Order: sequence, then structure tokens, then C-alpha cells
Amino acid sequence: MIRLRRITKFFGRNQVLKDIDLTVEKGEVVVILGPSGSGKTTLLRCINYLEKPNAGEVAIGELAVDCKRPSKKDIQALRRKTAMVFQHYNLFKHKTALENVMEGLVVVRKLAKEEARERSVRVLEKVGLGDKLDAYPSQLSGGQQQRVGIARALALEPEAILFDEPTSALDPERVGEVLEVIRNIAKEGITMIVVTHEMGFARDVANRVVFMDGGVIVEEGDPKIIFSRPKEERTRQFLKRITPEANYSI
Amino acid sequence: MKLDPAFIWTAFVKLLSAVPTTLFITVVSVAAGFLLGTAIALFRIYKVPVLGPLSAGYVTFIRGTPMLVHLLLIYYGLPAVIDGVSAAFGWSFRSVSIPYVVFALIAFTITASAYLSEVVRSGLLSVSSGQLEAAYSVGMTTPQAIRRIVFPQAFAASIPNLSNSFIGMLHGSTLAFTVSVVEINAKAQIVASTNWKYFEAYIAAAVIFWGLTVLIERLAGVLERKINIYNRGGVA
Repeated sequence: MIRLRRITKFFGRNQVLKDIDLTVEKGEVVVILGPSGSGKTTLLRCINYLEKPNAGEVAIGELAVDCKRPSKKDIQALRRKTAMVFQHYNLFKHKTALENVMEGLVVVRKLAKEEARERSVRVLEKVGLGDKLDAYPSQLSGGQQQRVGIARALALEPEAILFDEPTSALDPERVGEVLEVIRNIAKEGITMIVVTHEMGFARDVANRVVFMDGGVIVEEGDPKIIFSRPKEERTRQFLKRITPEANYSI
Repeated sequence: MKLDPAFIWTAFVKLLSAVPTTLFITVVSVAAGFLLGTAIALFRIYKVPVLGPLSAGYVTFIRGTPMLVHLLLIYYGLPAVIDGVSAAFGWSFRSVSIPYVVFALIAFTITASAYLSEVVRSGLLSVSSGQLEAAYSVGMTTPQAIRRIVFPQAFAASIPNLSNSFIGMLHGSTLAFTVSVVEINAKAQIVASTNWKYFEAYIAAAVIFWGLTVLIERLAGVLERKINIYNRGGVA
């Protein structure tokens, strides 16, 4: 379980997160929607401390970290309970697909090389890249790179995987293959928090949708309800703009 | 004036005995300078209090003064400091027992460290922040991330600049002759002084330096291809 309490974040004098509370239960798939600049990516990055909140509390499982004075050990512990999939993949450029997945297992989790290798191969096969083990990121397409990114996160068997706009950098034809992989792991009951603009994905896969704007959570709830009859006017506006009905007149 | 081609060969053979000295000075000062330069680059990139600004000042001073001046400052200054300290503590150690080559090594290490710190710094800055974030996201500590992810990529990106600096230090090492170290250049002078055939001796020296430089270029090329197999694309 992940529990964020009163998370506040400033970039200079600009407050991007205003007292955010969010709880994600074990096994839940939560999709965060919102216009750019709404703070959704920043919120996600606060969970594993790639962004340092100015105030509030981040708790994962038994571990609760006060953002006022987190110790290095606390931050480390938060990061070891989570894994992240990045918008721009951020694969280790100098390592092959297999090495990318093994790296965290060997260096951080201290698994024996053989065991790490076996697990990594298994996970890479699961994302459909069993034949690309020795390829460097520069030899892979965007969709393949992102699937390696997902495998890297999955192999760590974290308590939750954080997805930061995992399909935003892909060309439209590749979006499907990556969403398919994410959909499949969602079925396995892994806790996931996904920032995305893919409305179809949110509708089908999310247990809960969180709509953010201006650094606050405007509305959250069951995707069926949020998408069909949102309570807030702001949500309605956003959804209307992002899922336009076919009513253009010329 | 008549050129004596036979003596070029004679000098060439004699000069070979000084090649190890030149290589020793160059390799030691580049290696030590690289380590020191890496520390300096990290102090500056991570804006370490006191050490960061101090490092920046050091780099401007060293790069702002000639290599020969570093050598002479160390050669004349260091013995005075050592003897002063030694006398103050009542030790029997005196600076005269230090071999000349040590002054050259210290001075050139200082020179190399300033230049190499910039090479390392540019290499580190060439690694995107996303690489570090990914390392953090799998749970690495900062030292782990730097060692496993950032340094290897920075090093690969730095090879052309490193080989450049290495060649610069190879040629700069000729200055060691001013403090009586017999490297290739000094040896050429000695070889020629018996029959005044300086031109021939320096031609031989030039050929040797060129050969060593080509060797370094080749090695750097091989290393670059080997390490950079992951880098397809870029602008080339």
C-alpha cells in the first residue's frame, strides 16, 4: 500500500503540488490524468524521491518517510520498494537489454549472477523480447526499448511500479504493443500508478482514475463513472477536449 | 651545411634508450593527473563546499600558467618547502636525495590534472540526467550509480579528448630536460653535442615522437571502437 499525505512541492516560487493526499491499495491500478503542468508527473516522481517534496509524508507498506527530513537510508528504502518506467525509457545506454534488466538485481538486490540472469531472461521473454537479449538500446525500436524498461522494473519485483507517460514518446503504431504489455502485467495484480494520456487504456485497465489540475486532485473514482458522468466541471472540460466526439463541422 | 643521413639513423638508435623515460613520465603524470582531475571534476559538478570553488581556482591558475613554469616552480620551490619542514621536525631527510625525475612527475601531474579535470567534467556532463534517474529508480546509491552507469559512459565519450591530452603531455614531457631528466629531447642534445649534428639528432627525435603519437592514436581508436559499440548513431 502506498499512502501520500499532504505532499507539497515548489519549483522555485511556483507551487506545483498543493497538499496532495492519495492512497493506493495493494494490487490496485491507478491512472493519473490531467493537463500538462497539472503536477501529475511530479507527484509520481515524489513517490520514489526523484523529486524531493518540500513537505508531507510518503509511506510504502510499513515504511513512512517524513519529507521534512528524510535520511539517505529512507530515500534508498523507498526506491527499493518501487520501480519506474520512464517516458524516454532511460535504458542504460552502455548495457544490453539483458544487462539492463540484470543490473538492479545484481548491484542492488545482490542476487547471484546466474539467478539474476535467469530471472531477467524470463521477464524479457514475457515482454516478448526473448530474441533481443544481447541488443543494445540503440539497436532497438522505441517500443522495444520501452518493453525493456518495463522488464527492468518488473524483474525487481517491487511493491509498486510507477509509469511516467510510458507511451508518450512512441510513434502511434508502437503505442499498442507497449500498452498490451502493461495491460498484461496489470492482470497479474501488481500495484501500478500510471500517468498517461491514453484514455482508452485508463478506461479499460484502471481500477481508479485520479484527475489532477493546478497541483490538486480535482476528482477521483471509478473510471466508468469519471468518464461518463464526472462531478467536476474541470474534469468534464478536460475529457471533452481530449476525447472529442465526432462532431466537427466544416 | 650538409645533411648526414647516416647519423640520423645512428641518433635514432641511441635515442631509443630514452623512450622508456619519456613514456614513464607521460604515463605516470597522465594517470595521476586523471585521478586528481576526476576528483576535481566531481568537486565542481557536485558543488562541494570549499573544495568546489578551490578546485575551480586551481584549474584557472594551472591552465593560466605555462607547463614550464609549473616545472620550475616545483623544481625550485618544493625543495625549500621540504627542507624547511624537515628541519622544523628535526628529520635528517634532505631534498637533494630526491631524483630529478620526481620533480618532473609532480609538476606534470599538476599540469595534467587541470586539463584532464575539464576532459572528465565534459564527459560527465555528456551523460543525460535520465541515466542517473534510472539508476536511482532501481535503487542504486549515488556512488553505485556513478561507478556503474555514469563513469563508463562518460569515459567512452571522453576517449578522443583523453587521447588528445595524452599526446599533449607526451610532447610536453620534453620540458623535463630543463631539470636534467634525460628523456628523448635531452638525449638528442647529448647525442648531437659530440659532433654538432643537431639537425640530424632532432630529426630522429621528431620521428620517434611522431611514431609514439601514431601509436597513441591507434590505441585510442581501437579502444574507442571497442567501448563504443553501444553507440550507433550520433551525428556520425
